[in-house]
Amino acid sequence: MDRSATKPAVGGLADKLALVLLATGTVLTTVAFILTFTVASPVIGAKVSGVELIGDQMIGNQLLLSQKIFYFHMPVAIASMVALGGTAFFGIRFLMTRDAVYDMKAKLCTEVSLVFILATMATGEMWTRFEWGVWWTWDPRLTTYFILMLMVFGYFVLRAAVEEPERRATYASIFGIIAFVDVPISFMITRLIPSSIHPVVFRTDSGMSPDMLVPLMCSLFGFLMIAFGLYRFRVRTEALALRVEAVKDQIDE
Amino acid sequence: MNSVLQEIYATILPSAPFVIAAYALVWLVLFVYVVYSMTRFKKVESQVGLLEQSLSGMEKTGDATASVLK
Repeated sequence: MDRSATKPAVGGLADKLALVLLATGTVLTTVAFILTFTVASPVIGAKVSGVELIGDQMIGNQLLLSQKIFYFHMPVAIASMVALGGTAFFGIRFLMTRDAVYDMKAKLCTEVSLVFILATMATGEMWTRFEWGVWWTWDPRLTTYFILMLMVFGYFVLRAAVEEPERRATYASIFGIIAFVDVPISFMITRLIPSSIHPVVFRTDSGMSPDMLVPLMCSLFGFLMIAFGLYRFRVRTEALALRVEAVKDQIDE
Repeated sequence: MNSVLQEIYATILPSAPFVIAAYALVWLVLFVYVVYSMTRFKKVESQVGLLEQSLSGMEKTGDATASVLK
């Protein structure tokens, strides 16, 4: 493994941008949260026995508050998938260059991905429990995403199991790339298997009105920015740790 | 509230705990990760401090050795 190149560039444009993005992401997600509960129209459910005038609309269906979970659930799921894309990208870069920095970056991408996977699972569980009446069901989307989560856990187990740095990095890179293969499968499964009960959101006829789309986009871009900010912060920390190790080695010599 | 409105709002209150829990859990997960990241950063920072201390100690020892040799 190329140890001479184990100094990732820090403090540059990416880090300055990360700080701005982290702050913007926090603001955007807060705005999304407020808009979700103030502006976004509630989704309607089952028909009721009559019609009532609420605001300036005639309502003849149940109003569903539980759908509000979706404004955070979908964006954190996308963020987890994008972060895992980073794992695959840096895994490929490592296999091409044998530069330890890419292995470190791949590990940190997976770490961020795991955080967002846990957030996705938590929000999904709340939705599933209330709307479907169960804590878990083997729906194709849920199953493929569960496999994704297990693979991310497996990635860290693999890293912990192999001591030799180069072998660990090689195995982890390959495993990270394989784990990423599940991302498009999980994303597309609701379209490929029509019997899936999980809603399909990204589609041309989603019927989402602007008052729903704006909070969703704020939340989506907000969480993507937070993910990038957290990732860069971890890169800075690990870069500092690498420098400390390098100085220690020099002193020992 | 009439019976139709009761039906319209029937799922609002029962679903509220789940909605609150979902949002709280997202922030909790992120908060835990931020705390973990900060802890790791502080640990590395303290290692830098220890290195600085040991380096200054080595310099002093070096100076003392040099003055003895003179």
